[in-house]
Amino acid sequence: MTRQFWAAITLQLRLSAATPDSYLVCVTTPLLTTFIVTVDRWAGHQTQIGNAVVAPTLIALWMLALSVAGNAITEDRLIGTLEAQLGAPASLAVTLFGRMCSVSLIGLIAFAEAWTAVSLLGGTGWMPVPHPVVLICCLVTSSLAAAGTATLLSPLYVLLPSARVLQNTLSYPLYLLGGLAVPLTMFPWWLRTVTDLIFLTWSADLMRASLAPAAVTDAPWRLLAIVALGAAGFLIGTVLMRRMIGRACREGTVVLT
Amino acid sequence: MSRTLRVVAYSAANAAADMRALYTWRIWLFGWLGRMLAQAVFFALLGRSAAGSPSHTEYLAVGSCLMSSVIECMAVISSTTWERAAGTLEFLAAVPSRPVWVFFGRSLQWPASASVTTVVSMFTVGPLFGVAWRPSQVPALVGLIVLTSLSTYCFGLLLAALVLNANGARNLVANGVSLTMMIICGVQIPVERWPVIVRVVALALPPTWTLRAVRAVLANDGTVALAAAGAATALGVGWLVAADVMFTMFLNRSRRTGRTDHF
Repeated sequence: MTRQFWAAITLQLRLSAATPDSYLVCVTTPLLTTFIVTVDRWAGHQTQIGNAVVAPTLIALWMLALSVAGNAITEDRLIGTLEAQLGAPASLAVTLFGRMCSVSLIGLIAFAEAWTAVSLLGGTGWMPVPHPVVLICCLVTSSLAAAGTATLLSPLYVLLPSARVLQNTLSYPLYLLGGLAVPLTMFPWWLRTVTDLIFLTWSADLMRASLAPAAVTDAPWRLLAIVALGAAGFLIGTVLMRRMIGRACREGTVVLT
Repeated sequence: MSRTLRVVAYSAANAAADMRALYTWRIWLFGWLGRMLAQAVFFALLGRSAAGSPSHTEYLAVGSCLMSSVIECMAVISSTTWERAAGTLEFLAAVPSRPVWVFFGRSLQWPASASVTTVVSMFTVGPLFGVAWRPSQVPALVGLIVLTSLSTYCFGLLLAALVLNANGARNLVANGVSLTMMIICGVQIPVERWPVIVRVVALALPPTWTLRAVRAVLANDGTVALAAAGAATALGVGWLVAADVMFTMFLNRSRRTGRTDHF
């Protein structure tokens, strides 16, 4: 399984290198950061400096995971490799998860871009990172959680007529509910019970905390929450994927579904 | 003129068919519209927590709502390049009508949908952030939203012509240009705050002027609103002419070289 996972990562990295869309987040991340920093500077303070790194980075991670989840099966079907994968003993979900993890590497570049942009535009030198270990752990677990959660969506992509519609729909509503615009303390309590089930909520909170001078509380538990939500997404996605594939194989509609 | 209209109408029928293939009314309403409203709220909230004061918040809310139109209209860049995948460029090279009219009609679903999403956004998201529209301002506001969609669409057509031969760059250009317009066109801070070079670029873009007009309507300043709307209309026509020149140039080049699938 490990070999399969690494093979999937390598495959996707090669595919991504040849696809300009893979670099989309590298263009949009510094622009989003610029947008947030500009509002802050106009207002004459720096309340959003942490968010100018956190929001664009997590948006980039989620966009990339969604994009691979949407395109992987559609493209495999188009070029005729989906049938071969279904005939192989290896799990398709592991392949998909590996492919999504690979693009998370590009997502981490997005963090570097956002941090650099804030440092250059903020006018106060390089932005300090008071809790680097927490930050790195948060970035890695968030990447894995994005890949895991997107696995949950892969079967939906196969059932819906257009992957693009789902990609678009699951963007900004989720960023809002994940507290990327404002911390969720500003939301009503009943909404927060829903938002706690989204990994972005925990990732955004922890990443903001890692960039703030105050001590980070309960970091291991918060990291565990991110991993647990990602793992739950992956497991549910795997079960749904098996069912969908089982049905397609029984009905002989692998190429048509 | 009637022939041109007929070409646009046939092409717009394709646009409508594309829209029907992509969305059912339920998916459009709960998926797309919901997403665009969430986007307007997202950027308005980002600004509110930074700006703090009610006037800044209102400023940002109006800008974020109008940007719904701009972002959606930039989809013309992608849908124009779909023609290459559909294999219709060779046929276009053989017909006598100007290619710009075909491409103008072909993606009209975006300004139509953008106008509706932006009107809904202005009247639902706007009031959440303290924007109070008076009934007498509504016709002018709706007109300006349609003008924003059409003039931005014309600018998008020029970009689409430039990207037609670089198919893979379509999403990069559409997203990059949309976000750049969000930054420099006066959505979150006044255009006058930018350095001269950025200001010059911003003043050549229609959303800068329609935003100015919408803010003038909100302030009951009819003269400024009319002047800004006039500037946006002129710019929209200008960008359409530029798109025409580029499409025609690429078409003639493809005819000369015999590569009619590559404008």
